[in-house]
Amino acid sequence: MGKGGMSHGSAGEAKDGEEENMAAWLLGINTLKIQPFKLPPLGPHDVKIRVKAVGICGSDVHYLKTLRCADFIVKEPMVIGHECAGIIEEVGSEVKKLVPGDRVALEPGISCWRCNLCKEGRYNLCPEMKFFATPPVHGSLANQVVHPADLCFKLPGSVSLEEGAMCEPLSVGVHACRRANIGPETNVLVMGAGPIGLVTMLAARAFGAPRIVIVDVDDHRLSVAKELGADDIVKVSTNIQDVAEEVSQIHKAMEPGIDVTFDCAGFNKTMSTALSATRAGGKVCLVGMGHSEMTVPLTPAAAREVDVVGIFRYKNTWPLCLEFISSGKIDVKPLITHRFGFSQKEVEEAFETSAGGGNAIKVMFNL
Amino acid sequence: MQDRIREREREREREMSGGIVEVKEHKDGEENMAAWLVGIKTLKIEPYHLPPLGPHDVKVQIKALGICGSDVHHFKNMRCANFIVKKPMVIGHECAGIIEEVGSQVKTLAVGDRVALEPGISCRRCNLCKDGRYNLCPEMKFFGSPPTNGSLANKVVHPEYLCFKLPDNVSLEEGAMCEPLSVGVHACRRANISPETNVLIVGAGPIGLIVLLAARAFGAPRIVIVDVDDCRLSIAKNLGADETIQVSTNIQDVCEEVVKLQSAMGSGIDVSFDCVGLNKTMSTALNATRSGGKVCLIGLAQSETTVPLTPATVREVDVIGIFRYRNTWPLCIELLKTGKIDVKPLITHRFGFSQKGVEDAFETSASGRSAIKVMFNL
Repeated sequence: MGKGGMSHGSAGEAKDGEEENMAAWLLGINTLKIQPFKLPPLGPHDVKIRVKAVGICGSDVHYLKTLRCADFIVKEPMVIGHECAGIIEEVGSEVKKLVPGDRVALEPGISCWRCNLCKEGRYNLCPEMKFFATPPVHGSLANQVVHPADLCFKLPGSVSLEEGAMCEPLSVGVHACRRANIGPETNVLVMGAGPIGLVTMLAARAFGAPRIVIVDVDDHRLSVAKELGADDIVKVSTNIQDVAEEVSQIHKAMEPGIDVTFDCAGFNKTMSTALSATRAGGKVCLVGMGHSEMTVPLTPAAAREVDVVGIFRYKNTWPLCLEFISSGKIDVKPLITHRFGFSQKEVEEAFETSAGGGNAIKVMFNL
Repeated sequence: MQDRIREREREREREMSGGIVEVKEHKDGEENMAAWLVGIKTLKIEPYHLPPLGPHDVKVQIKALGICGSDVHHFKNMRCANFIVKKPMVIGHECAGIIEEVGSQVKTLAVGDRVALEPGISCRRCNLCKDGRYNLCPEMKFFGSPPTNGSLANKVVHPEYLCFKLPDNVSLEEGAMCEPLSVGVHACRRANISPETNVLIVGAGPIGLIVLLAARAFGAPRIVIVDVDDCRLSIAKNLGADETIQVSTNIQDVCEEVVKLQSAMGSGIDVSFDCVGLNKTMSTALNATRSGGKVCLIGLAQSETTVPLTPATVREVDVIGIFRYRNTWPLCIELLKTGKIDVKPLITHRFGFSQKGVEDAFETSASGRSAIKVMFNL
């Protein structure tokens, strides 16, 4: 049954003396309930993890509000959450590299490992992907989950469980920087200073980007970006007529020319700005997914050989994320702005806080 | 009085050659003539005064010249994208000819050599040029892109390093075809076409057909080509397309057509070339291409496009733009010489270099359909 299901019947299903596994279930629009979550049996290559830290993602909020996210539709109750870390409680018979007590960060998605995309290493694009909290697969905002051992990455001693949970959003930034070939010669523009814009900025710096300019409509988020090391910040509007003027402001802020732009918002305006602002021969990396149909000046960009590179989740990023965090090259701790415990009331408040945006960057559960 | 007349003549000559050169007395006998774009849909054959021959230049007697869609666009609109024709300009850029004179420092070419010309002179100093991406040079001087005069003329002066000697078995017309062929070659390189890439080509016009030939030469195992016009599709089939599919201009048909295309390909579509550049063609390409694949945008029909961009990026389908070409002549000539590519079937109409010939040629090219490449023989 893959990732487990709702417990039916009485709480007597649990073994005597053992507490029942509870999870936050998405039951309907704006309706989360903590209820029992029955885990699947432990396979030989699986581990059981006591989840200790879970971050809330924009996609989790989107599911809560609309019961869908792009083409994924929640048709039956589903456990929410996917950015997590915890402590190994039990290991399957064939598990060699992990033992109970190990602190691990979890990579959410289980791909098929058989299709051409998987064999080619692009497993993030696997059509059979089973991903925490992408329907119909249950998520990990629970006391315990069962997961393949090779998707659990041991945390170095200096890395906290919260930082372990942050590897998931950080992975998006890392994957984007790899696809866009960020290095010591790429000047970077980041559109949007939300959680994804900020992790992308941190990742770009870790990859050696010499100059990073970040833009947003929100002053507070821009000041957070400045504190996190942006070389320059530019406030922009939501008005598409302002693109030309903003592009020249951005060019002034980034004198030598923009090699790569990350659109971490994904709207017509942000893409139009990105396509105009990026130098000939550069790249625009579309990370944010605001709209599904976009009206953008694609042809003038194509005629300057500005390529558009798409980003879907990540692949093979956990080891590098842990390396960045443990070496101090990246500090994700300032992104964790709010913390909540795992109770009905706090789950509701946490999602409300995350959905509110503003000065909430990463809302973290401590279980 | 004589002085004033002569001064006025000189002034006119300066104007005609773009005002870049000193005035010289015409030699007795033939004057260099060119096809000047003087207004909307108005081409006139008039004298064209050449600049002096620099030490690294050659003078080329033009023998073959093809008409490009951009030439027709300039002809009809006095502009093409951001290039605006503000004063009379010689048209044309797809050419080949015979060396007539060489500058004092020219080492690799001699009088009598048959050469194909790469149209664009880049600055060779800026970062893009030094990086090898000289096609993107902001100071590019390109035949027939205002304000640079083109090459539909008896003679032109051009740098030695942009003239490529033709092997004996490659004709001057094939030499002129190197220019459009270069667009296909550059696109295939940027899209990494190989024996493992199944290719979809949207649009079977001159560019789509050339991309078909180039993709095959780069080893593409399976090529499906689509168009709205069944005449062009049958040409594509004759040129070696594995399968051709007729599509509509109606954007509502995208979903249905994508299904047809994917089943015509059998396995996934690795690379799609949009050789048209309209909303519908881009949408089709983005939806039809497999996850992790590429869409190469060559056709530049519309400046703003409404496309389903996010689903494409959510499947990591990258969009790669193509602007002209770089370092493609040697490979084009090699492909023509060895017969790996045969461009001759693309030359459907021929005209001579006369006022009427020029007018008829442009009209034919503009009409599309069975006219693929219209070629001047001078």
